[in-house]
Amino acid sequence: MFLTQEEERMLNGDYGRGVQKSTELLVKLGEAFDAERLVPAQSAHIHCAISLDLLLELTEGATQCRVITTTHPNAYPDVLDPIGCKRIGLPENYDIYEFIHGGPWSQIEDIFKRLGYLLTYTCVPFLVGNLPKPGDVISWGGTSGAVTATSMFAACGSRDSVPANVATSITGRAPHIGMAIKQNRRAQVLVELDQLDLDHFTNADYGALGYYIGGKTGSKNVVINGLKTLTLEQFRYLVSPMPVSGATNICHVVGVTPEARTLAQALGRGKPEEVITVGKDQIKEAVNKLTTTHSDKVDLVKFGCPHCSIIELRDIASLLDGKKVHPNVRLFVATAKQICVLAEAMGYVDIIKQAGGVFTNTCLGSQDPFNFIGPKLGIEVVATNSARSAHYSARTSGGKIKLLYGSTEQCIDSAITGKWRAIR
Amino acid sequence: MKLKGHKINGGRVEGEAIVYTDAFSFLGDFDPITGNCLIKTPELEGKTMINKILVCPTGKGSSRGPLNAYRAMKLNKSPKAIVCIEAEPVLAAAAIVANMPMVDRLDKNPLEVIKTGDWVKVDGDNGIVEVIHLGN
Repeated sequence: MFLTQEEERMLNGDYGRGVQKSTELLVKLGEAFDAERLVPAQSAHIHCAISLDLLLELTEGATQCRVITTTHPNAYPDVLDPIGCKRIGLPENYDIYEFIHGGPWSQIEDIFKRLGYLLTYTCVPFLVGNLPKPGDVISWGGTSGAVTATSMFAACGSRDSVPANVATSITGRAPHIGMAIKQNRRAQVLVELDQLDLDHFTNADYGALGYYIGGKTGSKNVVINGLKTLTLEQFRYLVSPMPVSGATNICHVVGVTPEARTLAQALGRGKPEEVITVGKDQIKEAVNKLTTTHSDKVDLVKFGCPHCSIIELRDIASLLDGKKVHPNVRLFVATAKQICVLAEAMGYVDIIKQAGGVFTNTCLGSQDPFNFIGPKLGIEVVATNSARSAHYSARTSGGKIKLLYGSTEQCIDSAITGKWRAIR
Repeated sequence: MKLKGHKINGGRVEGEAIVYTDAFSFLGDFDPITGNCLIKTPELEGKTMINKILVCPTGKGSSRGPLNAYRAMKLNKSPKAIVCIEAEPVLAAAAIVANMPMVDRLDKNPLEVIKTGDWVKVDGDNGIVEVIHLGN
């Protein structure tokens, strides 16, 4: 592999052991996938389930990260609302990564701070200051953030691992593979929409659409034709489930995403390898997959996989204003600290808390603490508007948690009444 | 029998093969505390992967997989090497951080010519996999 003089120095240890180890890892990874060179990276995002010894190895002697680096949701769920979390049954200092860490969390956080990692503890780095420009090479843990940044902002994020994320943050380099190569971004599968009622499409409908598409397309690049305009929230609900039902790196939306002004542009002027049509039956099929119970009794309602934006918190607050969550139901809302501060200023936090909701900045997807301890607390049925979260809860709980999947409105209705029912 | 392929990670080791016919992840399919396989097929459930040569089509799953592989290596509970049809970046990173030689793109399908229990030599540096003798 070709290395610049600077990269040779990094590899020789001129910048210390950590930079050397990190460069070595990236060079090996690059060579494994026939990269001709490393490229400058612009952004990293680090999963908190890093092990202390590996972190020390990859960062030894490094004083600062070389690119903007943010951190993924933390294992401790009690940063935003410790009293609320305790009330709904989460143990204090609950740490599902203890074994992976292999050392005290405080030591890991100290290293993060020393390196200048921004302690955002969120899966939506682009909403809290880590916003890539088109063409920026990013190394992000957390597939929802990566697929959103790559698809919506035309950043170059590929399927990646936690050690590589750290190595890129320390070296400012990434192997020239995957989405960093222009021809790899061309859409392979064309998705056409058939008579979907897009005027009344809820976030959960977008999630079901994405979930269906991911399951049909695997690791292929996707282009969706027929969605006229999408808000950032709708876009996130659409693409976030794709890497969990499939292994999507990039999803173009014609007329919305920067590389898909036209369908021809997304397809690189070529023909799609495959065309898929999604109509009402396919959306229903996805909703049925995400719904694993016929029960109408709801034990827990959760929002925030990925973490809620300020707009979602506004909507949840307006649905809950003056209402009370049913005494048998827990309402759990995940967002970033930074977004929560704004929501507090707007009064949304008060409204949601007064209704009985609890805030958290932990992960409510694959690492949702209730996936593990829920059954012990008598939580059997969970309702959510997130396809990603529904998919993960069903699996990581080993089927012990049953899922109900529906719109934000339906979920809030069930939180208030304790019953899952069709609304409108 | 000698198979020629492509280096993912260097190093030379030999050991007994454990063959899995689906995409593999060190998070979910493997317990780094015990070194046991968590795959629920009659052939593999509960089997140890310690010092084994993992043969699988490719990787899948969480970006955290390599951390489990690394932890297992520290506890001396990791497999010795990986042989696969086509690597992807997460499984490759697991091999690199846990010092497992890894080879892919072999001239014959390793899932067809290697069976669980076979004794296999992996030369990661030269991308060569050799089936030394057959298991039971």
